[in-house]
Amino acid sequence: MAAPRTAPDPVAPGALDHGAEPPTAARRPSGERFPTPGRVAGYAVLVLAAAALLLPFFWMVSSSLKTSNTVFSTPVTWLPDVPRWRNYLEIWRVSDMLVWLKNTVFLSLVVTFLQLFTGSFAAYGFAKARFPGRNLLFVLYVGTIAVPWQAYMIPQFIFMSEIGLTDTLWSIVALQAFGAFGVFLMRQYYATIPDELCEAARVDGLSEYGIYFRIMLPLSVPALASLALLTLVTTWNDYLGPLIYLRDPDLWTIQLGLKSFVSEYSAEHALIMTGSVLSVLPVAVVFLLGQKYFVQGVATSGMKG
Amino acid sequence: MRSRYPRRTAIAAAVAATALVATACGGDEPADSGGPVTLTMSAWSLNSTPEFKALADAFHEQNPDITVEFKEYDATNYDTQLTADLAAGSGPDVYVLKNLKNFITYQSGEQLLDVSDLADQLGSEVSGLGNYKVDGATFAVPYRQDSWYLYYNKDLFAAAGVTPPDETWTWAEYEKAIADLNAGLKAAGSPAKAAYQHVWQSTVQGLALAQTRGAELTSGDYGYLKPYYERALAQQETGAQVDYGAATTNSLQYQAQFGTQQAATMLMGSWYVATLLSQQESGAAQAFEWGFAPAPQLDESTRDKPVTFGDPTGLGINAAVDEAEAAAAKEFLSFAAGEGAAAALASIGITPATLTEPVVEAYFEVEGVPADELSRFAFENRDTKAENPASPVTAAVQNALLETHSAIMSGSTPVDDALDEAGRRVRDEVLESK
Amino acid sequence: MSTTTVGGPPGTAGRTKRWHKARRSLQGVSFILPNFLGFGLLTLGPVVALFYVSFTNWNVFGTARWIGLDNFTRLVGDRSFHRALLNTLYYSALHIPLTLALSLGLALLLNRKLRGVAFFRTAAFFPYITSIVAIAIAWNLLFSKDAGPLNQVLGLLGVDDPPGWTASSTWAMPAVIIVGVWREMGYYMLLFLAGLQTVPPELHEAARIDGATAWQRFRNVTLPCLRPTTFFVTVMLTIGSFKVFDLILVMTNGGPGQSTLVLSQYIYQKGLVENRFGYASAISVVLFALCMLVTVVQFAINRRRDA
Repeated sequence: MAAPRTAPDPVAPGALDHGAEPPTAARRPSGERFPTPGRVAGYAVLVLAAAALLLPFFWMVSSSLKTSNTVFSTPVTWLPDVPRWRNYLEIWRVSDMLVWLKNTVFLSLVVTFLQLFTGSFAAYGFAKARFPGRNLLFVLYVGTIAVPWQAYMIPQFIFMSEIGLTDTLWSIVALQAFGAFGVFLMRQYYATIPDELCEAARVDGLSEYGIYFRIMLPLSVPALASLALLTLVTTWNDYLGPLIYLRDPDLWTIQLGLKSFVSEYSAEHALIMTGSVLSVLPVAVVFLLGQKYFVQGVATSGMKG
Repeated sequence: MRSRYPRRTAIAAAVAATALVATACGGDEPADSGGPVTLTMSAWSLNSTPEFKALADAFHEQNPDITVEFKEYDATNYDTQLTADLAAGSGPDVYVLKNLKNFITYQSGEQLLDVSDLADQLGSEVSGLGNYKVDGATFAVPYRQDSWYLYYNKDLFAAAGVTPPDETWTWAEYEKAIADLNAGLKAAGSPAKAAYQHVWQSTVQGLALAQTRGAELTSGDYGYLKPYYERALAQQETGAQVDYGAATTNSLQYQAQFGTQQAATMLMGSWYVATLLSQQESGAAQAFEWGFAPAPQLDESTRDKPVTFGDPTGLGINAAVDEAEAAAAKEFLSFAAGEGAAAALASIGITPATLTEPVVEAYFEVEGVPADELSRFAFENRDTKAENPASPVTAAVQNALLETHSAIMSGSTPVDDALDEAGRRVRDEVLESK
Repeated sequence: MSTTTVGGPPGTAGRTKRWHKARRSLQGVSFILPNFLGFGLLTLGPVVALFYVSFTNWNVFGTARWIGLDNFTRLVGDRSFHRALLNTLYYSALHIPLTLALSLGLALLLNRKLRGVAFFRTAAFFPYITSIVAIAIAWNLLFSKDAGPLNQVLGLLGVDDPPGWTASSTWAMPAVIIVGVWREMGYYMLLFLAGLQTVPPELHEAARIDGATAWQRFRNVTLPCLRPTTFFVTVMLTIGSFKVFDLILVMTNGGPGQSTLVLSQYIYQKGLVENRFGYASAISVVLFALCMLVTVVQFAINRRRDA
């Protein structure tokens, strides 16, 4: 609640108030003035909604402070009798959490970088360049999104095995980094940037690559930010990919490692939840920091009028 | 061990991918007969599953030339991972057949070496061996053979004023005891239930299949399940056990239900003996007196050799191994199914496939294993039928019956309708398609 | 892919023009190439293999025998498949519009200067980053028939016979849809948030001066500018709903009975559980065709609006 206003002032704050609130309220400088009853009610609704959104996370935290055999019971206990903070020390001792964390961070960074770069690069080709077969190729890209992975993962696994990538972290990089999702997302965003802008740049003698680097990339910061966050979260939380491709315990990711608390005849439920809470925190921090990039791109605002 | 780096060019690989369906290479390690051999073996949850190391160490002691190394798999997605590895030709030399219902997939996919020669040398005391026989040839050997028992909490029986079992119960005797427990525990003000029935389909269907004469999993007729479901529903109705909906929505764990004295009795597999012992030691389970009795029987005719169910866990050899590895692997399999390994397994609380006098002794020497006569009787005398008899349609049938289970237990569909529907589905969608 | 047309008008002017065109084509291709190398090898290749497999009886091991259309003709009479298909349509029919409306609403609400907006945005996105296993467990607790908080609230509101939610064959699907919407609205909100940044503020300003109400400005300014994003979100949401899998797996595992069995899960059962990959691939092809059909319709609508 007490989070400061992290978003830098947008160019035109008035543009953003197309919600239900009366325009005058949003145009007033916030801060010194006394809160109106409407504003208080609005916040109350937001806080309630946030509580509903965070409830399962609350359950996770509560369970992480229990013993394994008390995590599940009838009726539900929402708070542990005696919080067992020890779990948060224990998990580092009984597991290779550090190794898992290292692998997960490595994968998330590499995959996100490759996805951002190759995705936005290809998206420029699809949105602004012209070549024969472009639209067909794009349909192929989108089409693969519609094929369920669990049906073609074995053929894919055999192929990865042939090129010697299975049981290496690179298999996950290869799996995640070139997805059609990023291309599609970025292409749609570039489509909103007027062609006249590119034409003008061409007349000024900028090459296609120059247009991409000097004009498109800076303009697409909000889209890049959302692609980065979504890719990061997907890679961070991916379970099935690592499950199929990684065997060596030194290569496990957090999600895979936490599953090792489930053995055949018993499961360390409390520690699983402890690990899950620990795993969510870095992502939440990244999101908290990253969401400030959702601000009006300076140049777009002047172009489409 | 495979190299971590790409060995072939992308183009060659692309070609290989196009022809992927035909590629099933493997066993590309050079043969070096005579010298020391290293075998790779599949395993799971190595930290909490001591049986693999126990087997490998005991074997290595007898055969210093052969070393067994583990390749670790996920406990719950074992078959998915193993299937992928085998399909890509990178499976381990020796692998555990964790779920009997998938054995036939590996066998019919020609991923298992014929081990009939060594199977013939094994004695009749190895139970469960027949499950791995296809058309007269044997493709794997069992090393552990779990069975289902009736676990009971002696303290809760005492609190309820009910006499604990002193011999094999029939279902009628069991039902009476549950009713008495239900009343007795309530009267004593105990929050515990008379029984806990876990949400798995096995808890109802396993015993029904094993005990009903003429019942067959792949027949397409599931009327034999009816009395077992009616009993389960009745117990739910009277409040003698937590109902299925509550157990699923609250994700109840059977270890916690019995281990923290929420239930006085529980039908469960023999693996739970070792789990309960270790949980009592670690404090995860409470300290109380308990024992295990044979599963209740249809009538008195089977009192001396109670009929129960449970699948063996077996070991098979990857069909792609070379000759030297095959020889070493066969050594290992003979050892694992034999008395020596059985004693080693029994001494860590596992129920091995081979039950001889020294093995039984080793099992009951484990600290904390209930040494009363009935527990001992239940361990030594049982006719354990497979839950998933090998057949190409077993996995599909069990899938259909899993849906039947949740439909009945949640009260969504009446027993007769659900069983009719199960039969129809199996006949139309499973048996028809093979 | 980048060949130029043969036989244009001869002469230097035509040649230069063609050369220019070829160069632009080559440049265009060069943008796509880095991604395509990975995509083509790792995704497109296996997907093409899947289409081949759907005409065979492949069971993972050994060779695949060509059986023509057998898998597809069997699907026609497979009642479990019909059930899975209907359930998938049921899920999608509610999940798509609800998620679309709520995520857009959230994005509009949280795209403004507001004290603590960073916190609320993070809260909205939290369901998506929370472990799905924990979500399934927690929601099942909430849905519990007798002691669950949700039914207690319903009881207070005067509902006498509250539903059994995930333990009832009638209510399991609505329960799963609720959780699906709850989990994914933050995800799509993020995409809308990015899209909203492309709406020029001057247009709003001008509309305001013209006396347009908030609703009119939303209809006539925000929505049209947002169209590429809306199109993207709708396509992804449609495909995502048709392919819904892990949520169902952990929430209900398709039960009770077959009441929440969906296509992706049926594919998983036939493929990875029963090792009938030929059949599983055939179902995947149907699912693919379904997604493409809807997507093409959306493409057409989008194009007509653009024109």
